[in-house]
Amino acid sequence: MKIINCPLNGPRNISEFVHGGEVREMPNPTTCTDKEWADYVFYSNNIAGIVTEWWLHAPSGYWFIAVRHTVSDEVIRTFDASELFNQRIDFYMLDSVEAPL
Amino acid sequence: MPAITPQTFKKRSFVYHKLSAKHYTEIAGAAVSIHSVVEPQATVSLCDLSNLPRTGFRGLKAAQHLLSVGLPIPAKPNQAEKSANGELVLRLSQKEFWILANTNCEQSGYSKIDNLLNTTVPKEQCFALYCQDSHAWLLLTGEYLGKIMAKLCGVDLSSEAFPLGSIAQTSAGRINIIVVHHHFNGQPCFSLLCDSAAAEYLWDSLCDAMQEFKGKERGLLALTNS
Amino acid sequence: MSRLNSPAGLLINRRRRISFCFEGKQFEGLAGDTLASALAANDQWLMSRSFKYHRPRGPLTMAGQDANTLVQLEGEPNVLADKIEIAKGLIATGQNCNGSLADDSDAFLGHFSRFMPVGFYYRSFYKMPFSKYKDSWKYWEPTIRRKAGLGELDLTFKPQYYDKEYLFYDVVVVGSGPAGLSAAITSAEAGARVLLVEEQPILGGSLTYHRFDQEGLVADVLRVRLLAEVAQNQRIKVFTKASCNGWFTDNYLPVIQGNRMFKVRAKECIVASGSFEQHVVFRNNDLPGIMMSSAAMRLMKHYAVKPGQSAVVLTGNDDGYFTALELDDQGTDVAAVIDMRENKDIHSNELKTILADRKIDLFTGHTVYEAMASKGNKKVIGVEVRAITGQGTVNNKGFKIACDLVCMSAGYMPVYQLLCQAGAQLSYDDVASEFSLNKLPAHLHIAGSVNATHALSAVLTDGKRAAIIALNNIGLALDQPVPNVECQRKVNFHWPIFSHPKGKDFVDFDEDLQAKDIVNATRLGYRDIQLVKRFSTVGMGPSQGRHSALPTARLVADSTDRNMTQTGVTTARPPFSPEKLAHLAGRIFTPYRRTTMHRRHLALGAKMMPAGNWQRPAFYGHEKDRDQCMHRESVQVRTKVGIIDVSTLGGIELRGPDSAEFMNRIFCYTFLKQPVGKTRYAVLTNEQGVVIDDGVSCRISDEHFYVTATTSGVDNVYRDMMRWNTQWRLDVDITNVTSAFSAVNLAGPDARKVLELLVKDTDLSPEAFPYLAYREGQVVDIPARFLRVGFVGELAYEIHVPSRYGEALWDVLLEAGRAFDIRPFGIETQRLLRLEKGHIIVSQDTDSMSHPAELSLDWAVNRKKPFFVGRRSIDILQAQPQTRKLVGFKLAKDFNIDDKPKEGHLVLADNHLTSKITGNITSCEFSPTLDMIIGLAFVGIHQCAVGNTVYIKVDSGALILADVVKLPFYDPDNLRQQI
Repeated sequence: MKIINCPLNGPRNISEFVHGGEVREMPNPTTCTDKEWADYVFYSNNIAGIVTEWWLHAPSGYWFIAVRHTVSDEVIRTFDASELFNQRIDFYMLDSVEAPL
Repeated sequence: MPAITPQTFKKRSFVYHKLSAKHYTEIAGAAVSIHSVVEPQATVSLCDLSNLPRTGFRGLKAAQHLLSVGLPIPAKPNQAEKSANGELVLRLSQKEFWILANTNCEQSGYSKIDNLLNTTVPKEQCFALYCQDSHAWLLLTGEYLGKIMAKLCGVDLSSEAFPLGSIAQTSAGRINIIVVHHHFNGQPCFSLLCDSAAAEYLWDSLCDAMQEFKGKERGLLALTNS
Repeated sequence: MSRLNSPAGLLINRRRRISFCFEGKQFEGLAGDTLASALAANDQWLMSRSFKYHRPRGPLTMAGQDANTLVQLEGEPNVLADKIEIAKGLIATGQNCNGSLADDSDAFLGHFSRFMPVGFYYRSFYKMPFSKYKDSWKYWEPTIRRKAGLGELDLTFKPQYYDKEYLFYDVVVVGSGPAGLSAAITSAEAGARVLLVEEQPILGGSLTYHRFDQEGLVADVLRVRLLAEVAQNQRIKVFTKASCNGWFTDNYLPVIQGNRMFKVRAKECIVASGSFEQHVVFRNNDLPGIMMSSAAMRLMKHYAVKPGQSAVVLTGNDDGYFTALELDDQGTDVAAVIDMRENKDIHSNELKTILADRKIDLFTGHTVYEAMASKGNKKVIGVEVRAITGQGTVNNKGFKIACDLVCMSAGYMPVYQLLCQAGAQLSYDDVASEFSLNKLPAHLHIAGSVNATHALSAVLTDGKRAAIIALNNIGLALDQPVPNVECQRKVNFHWPIFSHPKGKDFVDFDEDLQAKDIVNATRLGYRDIQLVKRFSTVGMGPSQGRHSALPTARLVADSTDRNMTQTGVTTARPPFSPEKLAHLAGRIFTPYRRTTMHRRHLALGAKMMPAGNWQRPAFYGHEKDRDQCMHRESVQVRTKVGIIDVSTLGGIELRGPDSAEFMNRIFCYTFLKQPVGKTRYAVLTNEQGVVIDDGVSCRISDEHFYVTATTSGVDNVYRDMMRWNTQWRLDVDITNVTSAFSAVNLAGPDARKVLELLVKDTDLSPEAFPYLAYREGQVVDIPARFLRVGFVGELAYEIHVPSRYGEALWDVLLEAGRAFDIRPFGIETQRLLRLEKGHIIVSQDTDSMSHPAELSLDWAVNRKKPFFVGRRSIDILQAQPQTRKLVGFKLAKDFNIDDKPKEGHLVLADNHLTSKITGNITSCEFSPTLDMIIGLAFVGIHQCAVGNTVYIKVDSGALILADVVKLPFYDPDNLRQQI
């Protein structure tokens, strides 16, 4: 059984983790085209190479990010999601310049 | 005065239907088994502490709140530390802390946990958690702690790999569990915290795993006095 | 029963005699004997019959590596006689024989082997021409299975206690031969915690049976020294009689010992699994009395059993000479040593000299071409020897030598199984005529003969080498240099295959496959070794190609003009050796969750049913009375008051300044302006715009929401929420409180009256606590959250309390409700009640395509807010013409209940059975309150108008008619829930 190094809990059996799919950037849902949105929702790149993925350590409810090679299945690095997501994200109406609320 | 039974009070343990204990006492408004028939050769015992007080806080100001009431802050996540009064502080992440009551104190000592909840909780960035109800609390004491857990859990919980003060948030018998290695009466023990709805399952699984080591159910006072 | 003198007999205790029974006859053996060694000591060499031709078979390896000694025990089939230790009263019989082992009336099958090529049974009987049986295989299969069967199962067996345990080591060494011992000692001395796994009862591997020198002294001296070092080292844990049955990623090793499977995690793993000695392919090479050299050595050294009176040793390496010396020392007359090598290829003149000194005949460049047998093929009585003229060819004439023992040493095959499971590759060295292993993953190492190292001193150094590399990886090597290992010793003869025109030259003993069977498979077009395996079944037997893989690879390579590296061997998969399903099952870990009221349900006679891993009451009463129970319970709720345990409902708490903003982004409706003290229906869609969950949102304060989710959906909802906020970084705390709250729904016209008896601190009047409001208070002295909801369509209060009070809450409500004839109801009844109200259950009435408009949930979607998870997809879907819709339907009043449509039955466009499918039934039940059958179904968009007739195709193939009706079926103006 594979071991993944959880940034919070250390090396654990992969059975303690849930795979959350690739980290993908959401196109602006207000301004993107239907096709761009469909690409985002339905299509995966599924590359043979290095991917960045969401993983959940289920017992501690902790989402983190892993960099993995899909051919060798080697997990190259794991890190806290705040490395990639470090500021608040807001959504705005098309005709609005102000934040909601 | 009629004898105390597990149903005497409205607060009830999640595993009391599994207990074979005949005698109970009141602790913090609930029935806690005081002893069971203990065979002298029992080297391992399992005790239900679900009715003892515990609470938790999460948020950027949780550590500050604990400090303000004189509790210690373990240096890193997944470490536990005893307070001067014997409460056990668990640090489960950078900003999540659980506090378990002293298992070995006078009745009055248990009110400390209530104080934590009632008095000085900061208005923001510090949220009380529901671990009194979301989790059951079982205590495994005696020899072979690591070997018993090795029958349920894929993390090395031997004393070399999992020293005193360590916490593992992991899976045992296919349910989520928090294992804390601490001292009870000067002896090493594991506190096990699991989903309260799965407590009976964990109880059964542990009893089964203990059989090989002649493990027995015990009450809190029997443990304290042994 | 005579035995050889000590020190022969490492495994036996001569003072303890044990009697046992084989084939109905009493035998006596010694403690430590295997069944096979005890039988051999009693000159009983026939132990089994072969799979296909029922040929007599005896021990081949004496190490549990072949299928020749499979026997039947009482209650357990397919036990290896050379592995199982005898015990007092053991009763064993031969298996796969018709009659007795000695007198098998199916043995005639061997004479027909010419007419029974590979695939014979299947090809001949699968569709037998002219058979009156259409499906003739069904008819013949049982008979054929009996002829080619294995043992018999005892269907009355009692389950035993099997267990699993995790272990953790710095270094795990698989195999305790000289390489393994050397690796284990080196590792432990450097401070590593070591697990040493050995299949045999004692440590030492080849040191326990092999002879490495002329005097026969080296092995014992070395073994004693190494074992003492192991015993003295506290850091080495030894498992004997244990099999490492697989290699899984990151050195996860299943090790089976007795009734327990150890799941061992090793930082570093050193496989010193050794090699399997290989047989020579010649006619009748399967007769009892013909065995591996190492088997004869094991019989002598392990069990002090003399393997025969007169021996012929057939060899392709020096090891055969040592076997001859040992046999000679132990009083077996060695009639001849037949060396397949040319004289010039034999480098040790000393060995030739010593044979000459002992007056043992040596024939070089010769082979055994055929073995002769006693009547019924029961024992070898002699061999015909011929000079080798080329690859697999011999002179026309030879000579015969009488013997009752033939020892074969054609060479060795590395025990590659674990390593190939780990992704190692096999490549063939044409000079050494041997496979070697390379491209091992990190943290996995090999040492000893599995690493093509054969000279004893080199093997010891190789163990040390592997250990030092492993220790370097974990920072324990203490600057030891990695020793260089060189070994020139050649042990494999390049072509030990001598096909005979009359066959019976077995490549695979398990499956009775002869050389021509393999060659023929390639001629039929199966060039790939994997196809050869599947067509011929070579390597599929219990010994899994331990002896057949190498000759098969050679034959396939030769007949397809490729080299052996290209041919390779078939894939090795776990398990390495047979394991019981009980080992895999171990103790059963089937987690279950129970609500705090579980015991109360049981006491009330609930029929429990699983909901995810929860146990919930379906209804209260006997299973066979389902319909009556549901009828009674539903009428109770409609007319008086009922109570249902809804503790399994998911619960999520959101706290903090951004909790309303977060709710607004996750759920479809708007929540920014949800008033404090009110509940609101909350629909959750995924990014595809599909409805994936629903629940009730309670606003406890400006910055505090309590949201319910479905029992089965809450874990995913919570995970999704956590992940979204990991990205959005809103100031909100999210907690899954499902187990922290126990809850009931108190429903029915009398619900308020019951609650008023218990709740004194909260005004329950309809004015103060109206429909859809949220309040907090106490039930007696139990702190509670009250939600006025309308799921079942009556006046109802959902009461959520901290779980420690759950059982007491149930008790006080039932006690107070007694005056109002309160009755509990189960989830089957609840499903009926909500169906009467036309309320959907997500995942029952929805599928993976259902978007809100199809479910008429547009009202619960706010498309004016800037964002929610499914927003953009819903916009896109709504812009397209809708194709289907979930509607309510009813059947005619007189419709027979037993014929009612089931969930999943199809809705058709028209009243023809062949017309287009437009939808399906999602719920259907008889409503006692409405006295008719009602349901929900997806129907085509053109069929969805109220009053339309839709056509449902049911199990019988018939079409039934249903009328689309307006929802809800019951109390259309929703007055009752608002009382």
